[in-house]
Amino acid sequence: MGDSQYSFSLTTFSPSGKLVQIEHALTAVGSGQTSLGIKAKDGVVIATEKKLPSILVDETSVQKIQCLTPNIGVVYSGMGPDFRVLVRKSRKQAEQYHKLYKEPIPVTQLVRETAAVMQEFTQSGGVRPFGVSLLVAGFDDNGPQLYQVDPSGSYFSWKASAMGKNVSNAKTFLEKRYTDDMELEDAVHTAILTLKEGFEGQISGKNIEIGIIGTDKKFRVLTPAEIDDYLAEVE
Amino acid sequence: MSKEMVDLPPKGGFSFDLCRRNDMLAKKGAKPPSFRKTGTTIVGLIFQDGVILGADTRATEGPIVCDKNCEKIHYMAPNIYCCGAGTAADTEAVTDMVSSQLQLHRYHTGRESRVVTALTLLKRHLFNYQGHVQAALVLGGVDFTGPHLHTIYPHGSTDTLPFATMGSGSLAAMSVFESKFREGLTRDEGIQLVAEAICSGIFNDLGSGSNVDICVITKGHKEYLRNHLLPNPRTYVSEKGYPFPKKTEVLLTKITPLKQKVEIIEAGDAMEE
Repeated sequence: MGDSQYSFSLTTFSPSGKLVQIEHALTAVGSGQTSLGIKAKDGVVIATEKKLPSILVDETSVQKIQCLTPNIGVVYSGMGPDFRVLVRKSRKQAEQYHKLYKEPIPVTQLVRETAAVMQEFTQSGGVRPFGVSLLVAGFDDNGPQLYQVDPSGSYFSWKASAMGKNVSNAKTFLEKRYTDDMELEDAVHTAILTLKEGFEGQISGKNIEIGIIGTDKKFRVLTPAEIDDYLAEVE
Repeated sequence: MSKEMVDLPPKGGFSFDLCRRNDMLAKKGAKPPSFRKTGTTIVGLIFQDGVILGADTRATEGPIVCDKNCEKIHYMAPNIYCCGAGTAADTEAVTDMVSSQLQLHRYHTGRESRVVTALTLLKRHLFNYQGHVQAALVLGGVDFTGPHLHTIYPHGSTDTLPFATMGSGSLAAMSVFESKFREGLTRDEGIQLVAEAICSGIFNDLGSGSNVDICVITKGHKEYLRNHLLPNPRTYVSEKGYPFPKKTEVLLTKITPLKQKVEIIEAGDAMEE
């Protein structure tokens, strides 16, 4: 492949006009665990598989869905350690915004600043792009919002989106099931069904994680017991 | 572009570049502008269920009261509040900054902030600035280990006490506490004692005045009683207005138009040229 000569250096374009390292980063994301998000008319839900490498791992110590501000949460597909770094930077930016303007940061601003950080790492020397795609869910004065941020630093607002291993099946499923006037409860059920589609093994409250934000503008991660209740409703 | 323009001040700490100029101006008789201080009486005490903080609401600029109802009890965390005495800008900036740091710390640890964390962040910052940040604080809160009350001095030293007062009115307030404080006060007794202490500062110290603010913090709950007592109401504004009766009687109303006096000058030469 002609491209392979240009695939080692991040800051060099290949003849076809691509930055091959970013393509590789997207591949890393594509082999990560499935995660998805759905925007309902009164809230947003994000969910992910939580498959642990061994049954000996204490699953209560792993939390893939994180809170960035009281009204914005985020989930990822890809490399966990890269996600931790981004979460730390985003929280700091949100807090700096709040300190300066004394108002909670709007979702679009936080997404823009996080995307700017990810873009920086595609145009600097000696660094590699982040191997994660993020799904940012928030509720502010502009209503519920869902954004996907890619390793290149580009971001889009989605009504429903999926990332990771089973992305094409999941997206097809979401396209069929999504309606504009969905409520948050319906969205949670749809999210569970979508995860179930490509799930290997028995789905339960311990191996998936769901985060929701409703009109109360408080992002929270559901407890395993609550997830089990939703699973029982779905069946 | 010369290098001086791009030269930024070193990060952190104050820049003392203008001190020599200020000294020269002072010697020549130019007085430096006075800054807003919170003369202040601030107090805190531990009662049976938690902590009660109290403060007056007067801010002074030299001999002038510049704010009759300012807020001296600052938010640090949902379970921690801090009263500030000294230069108003310093207390607000320092408490704001540490409040932001505590919020980030809460995200990272996933736990409620501890009072000693706030205490350590504040005292490190104040010590780094060697007393130039003139903020004297009374920090109180309830966390997992129980209720805590601390005082922090501008140079960075701290005390842990069951009852504390700071500010220019601290002696007046301390006299009330020393005579009436005891362990295991109930909420109402505690609020009354704090209000009494602040009132003694308000009435006996020139740097304190106006109203009493109180904040009660217990495990899992807080109450911010803004203007709990208003012992200095404005009494001089009359709603009816001030009617001034007319002193001069009207005897006669008659309108006489003034006669117009118009002189017609026989035109001599018309204006020429």
